[in-house]
Amino acid sequence: MFSRKSLLLTVMAFVMAASLLLGGSPEIMAEDVTTITVAAFPDQDSGFEAILDDFHEKHPHIRVELEVADFDDHHQTLLTRIAAGSNVPDVANVEIAFVGDFVNRGGFENLTAEPYNAGRFEEDIIGYKWAQGTNDDTGNLIAMPLDISPGTMFYRRDRLDELGVDIDDLNTMEDWIEVGEEFVAEGDDRWLFADAASVYEMIRRSGDHQFFDDDGEPIITSDKFVRAFEMAKEVRDRGLDGQIGEWSNEWFSTFEEGTALVHTSGAWLGGHIQNWMAPETAGKWGVTNLPDDMYINWGGSFVAIPEDAENKEEAWEFIKYVTTNVEPQIKQFEAANIFPSLLDAFDDDIFEVSSDFYGGQNVRELWLDAARQIPEVNTNRYDNIAEDIVGDALTEVLEEDKDIMQALEDAEELLRRRMR
Amino acid sequence: MNYGNKLESNTQQKAINIIKKVILYSFLVAGVIVTFVPFLYMFLLATRSRAEIFSSIFSLAPGQSFMDNYQILISNVPIWRNLFNSIFISTTATILTVFFCSLGGYGFSKYNFKFKDTLFFSMLATMMIPGLLSIIPWFIMMNFFGWIDTFYPMIIPGIANPFGIFLMTQFMNTIPYDVIDAARIDGCGEFEIFLRIILPMSKSGIGALSVLTFLGSWNVLMQPLLILQSRHMWTLPVALTRLADQAGIDHGAAMVGVIIAIAPILIAYMIGSKSILKGVMEGATKG
Amino acid sequence: MKYDKNSGITDRLRLNKKVAPYVFISPFFILFLIFGLFPILYSFFLSFNSWDGIGQMSFVGLDNYAYILTDDWFWDSVRSTIIIFVLTTIPQHLFALTLAFILNSTFVKFKDFFRTSYFLPYITSAVAIAIIFDVLLGHRSGLINAFLIWANQLPPVEFLFQTFNFDLPARWLGEPRLIRFSIAGLLTWRFTGWNMLIYFAGLQTIPKSLYEAARVDGASIRQVFTKITLPLLKPVIFFGVTMSIIGNLQLFEEPFVLVGADGGTGRAGMTTAMYLFRTGFHWRQFGEGSAMAYVLCIFIIILSLVNKKLFSGGGLNELRQ
Repeated sequence: MFSRKSLLLTVMAFVMAASLLLGGSPEIMAEDVTTITVAAFPDQDSGFEAILDDFHEKHPHIRVELEVADFDDHHQTLLTRIAAGSNVPDVANVEIAFVGDFVNRGGFENLTAEPYNAGRFEEDIIGYKWAQGTNDDTGNLIAMPLDISPGTMFYRRDRLDELGVDIDDLNTMEDWIEVGEEFVAEGDDRWLFADAASVYEMIRRSGDHQFFDDDGEPIITSDKFVRAFEMAKEVRDRGLDGQIGEWSNEWFSTFEEGTALVHTSGAWLGGHIQNWMAPETAGKWGVTNLPDDMYINWGGSFVAIPEDAENKEEAWEFIKYVTTNVEPQIKQFEAANIFPSLLDAFDDDIFEVSSDFYGGQNVRELWLDAARQIPEVNTNRYDNIAEDIVGDALTEVLEEDKDIMQALEDAEELLRRRMR
Repeated sequence: MNYGNKLESNTQQKAINIIKKVILYSFLVAGVIVTFVPFLYMFLLATRSRAEIFSSIFSLAPGQSFMDNYQILISNVPIWRNLFNSIFISTTATILTVFFCSLGGYGFSKYNFKFKDTLFFSMLATMMIPGLLSIIPWFIMMNFFGWIDTFYPMIIPGIANPFGIFLMTQFMNTIPYDVIDAARIDGCGEFEIFLRIILPMSKSGIGALSVLTFLGSWNVLMQPLLILQSRHMWTLPVALTRLADQAGIDHGAAMVGVIIAIAPILIAYMIGSKSILKGVMEGATKG
Repeated sequence: MKYDKNSGITDRLRLNKKVAPYVFISPFFILFLIFGLFPILYSFFLSFNSWDGIGQMSFVGLDNYAYILTDDWFWDSVRSTIIIFVLTTIPQHLFALTLAFILNSTFVKFKDFFRTSYFLPYITSAVAIAIIFDVLLGHRSGLINAFLIWANQLPPVEFLFQTFNFDLPARWLGEPRLIRFSIAGLLTWRFTGWNMLIYFAGLQTIPKSLYEAARVDGASIRQVFTKITLPLLKPVIFFGVTMSIIGNLQLFEEPFVLVGADGGTGRAGMTTAMYLFRTGFHWRQFGEGSAMAYVLCIFIIILSLVNKKLFSGGGLNELRQ
């Protein structure tokens, strides 16, 4: 009997000990240092890491703890935590695809109001970016602009040289398709793009509206989307893409092996390539502007303070530091190609330095020129749903040969239904 | 086929029998190979770098990168903490669930009371309700309780396990009444009878239910994915899912994580496969 | 047995024989009311409302149901779910039944080894397995494609692939058609052992004397299988298939990890459970999600009833009568 009793006692003790542990470990804090959590997604975390030492030095009473999650997870769990009001970070990093949703949903501090008075920085920051961070109804700034990202093309310099093609001769989509056909003809595992969808991703970001017009009406069936779909389809039909989805291991190997001639993306992709995707390919890359004189914003993010955050004052200190000072803005750019949204930073010397990774090309100047030509783009709270739905319509066109107009009309109907 | 044909010589029949056996055995062995290849491959990949994974698909030789992969893994997820969380949650959930299911099973099996049949069948009926039906409000409730990012949602609601009660009722039906009556005469209280007599006599039932509950709790993904937000609270399935989602994670590193997630179960299975199989079989046939 | 009859705590906790059973079963019912029944009713309530969990809730009547039932993505997800269900349930049960039948025959040695091996995939976590299969099914780096390319050198295999227009390397997780096969393959791999075990347990309950009698009558293996084994196993098959229906129609974890939350190319791998998850927790449309849950629940009930019609009766009891 004794042993059974003791077993029971052990179990009960275990259960009790368990219940103490259940709620997670309590934060241990030093006396007069406030720890703030900053939730970010890759590669913005590299940017933050690059400036943390400086920030800690300037603000010894604040310690920053970075919380990094994958892009989708980061935004979804952020929403969950905001809704739950528990476990919210003090600073939330929000990417452009989600910012329309976040600023119009509620749950974040109004940065225009006291004690933040963010309005005083409005003139210092790229105009459209400021508008994107404000709530449509109230005009209050909710998300402070952190970085922008000019769309650009990363091409394999060595491959183009092998083909004997001069990059200056490639100015339109048609030019690229032509050189792509030459490249693909050279042998197996040779593609112009890893994924035809990136052609759509590029074109859909062009112009001064994304998925919605100024009244919030979807413009999915407009000429821009038709062209984006048509070009993507042409690339696929001509066998110019590897049908390799982005962010897969196979996609990374296209960077290492140079099997895809060109990657269209925001400037931030350069940071990924250089830092971890294919560092050993240094010198083999070149950067050029998008074809057809497209100047687009591709990526970029904001920082906001959740209403339920515990250390709002310190959070704001951090936000002010990273968004309104030239030095950290430039440091982030240096570390991970996180392009400044602060206008003063554009005059920095860094834009005059060429880069070995790109074979001595001064890519930063090229991006700066591109950034200056990006038109103002609006955001909408349904942007991320629209991205899901239209992206899906594209797969139907590419994979199942669905009629382009039909696919776009269906997508628009789906989107309208979701917006009710 | 006519095996009764007397004209067939014995040797011929033997030959046919051997061929038959060879065919049947090759079917069985093929099944074993198909079962084991993914596990084997898991161990191989864990030792390979990204480049090696692409270049040496067929090779059976392990690569050199196991430690590198491990470093990548632990720099991305706190996998040991996640392992601890999984062990903790599954163990606690199993103990509590088995205890309360035994209690309920005892109530249904050894007592006669008003509405017994109604209650028993309404309990059985709840087994038919798909869990998905309540996932959204369940999440809202957990939120309301302030249980987001805690372990409670993975432990407490699961205690109400109709299948468990049903299983324990079936097992306890085989316990004779006179044992209980004798204890009552000795002056045992009802709860004491349960603790001191019934529980020890239901070992095989408890074993079966424990195995099923533990496996279920160990492997569940959807609920912890919704509830456990911070990485040090993740269970293994959540950590692995997040890891797999993570852009640029090497296959090799993911495989090291998979090994850590599978190994405890694998070891437990090697030691106790007999009783685990028995438990599952009894659970299935009684249920 | 030594304990103090008069110790305070035992006395106070002493239960009346009349009350005791209610106390014993009450934890289940209390917890079930809170965590089971209430969410189900609340879900019903939510399905008539529009709510994102943060803003105001508004009553929309039957709109959510109307929305779901006319939503292409919903029906696509139902189609995917059912295709995957069929693609995996049939081979699963056929393999399982065959393996169990072979293992149950007297001459087979190493029974324990085989059983233990087949059951192994079931005990390992779905997420871990999905990650392994993700690599196995890789386009250019996957073992399965490498094997198929190797097999393609053999003329008959090459002929077969050409006839079916099967391109190598296949995009198992990229092409909509193949995505469903990949998921079904994973499920078959994982659950055949579980079904095998159930069938094996069922076979063990069939008295040996029946087989002996059949052998004396000169019945062939096939006759034994169709005339004795199958009819007697009917209730077990019913149980196994019911479990498959309930499990597969709520299929979530394997495709979620294998092809991602959006279901992969063309949403081919987006099951209804995943769509529900996406609607509810990605898009925060709790109302539509709840309505979808109810519609799905009705599907499960209908399928279970059909299954019951197909497999009802049979079993040992009937034989005895």
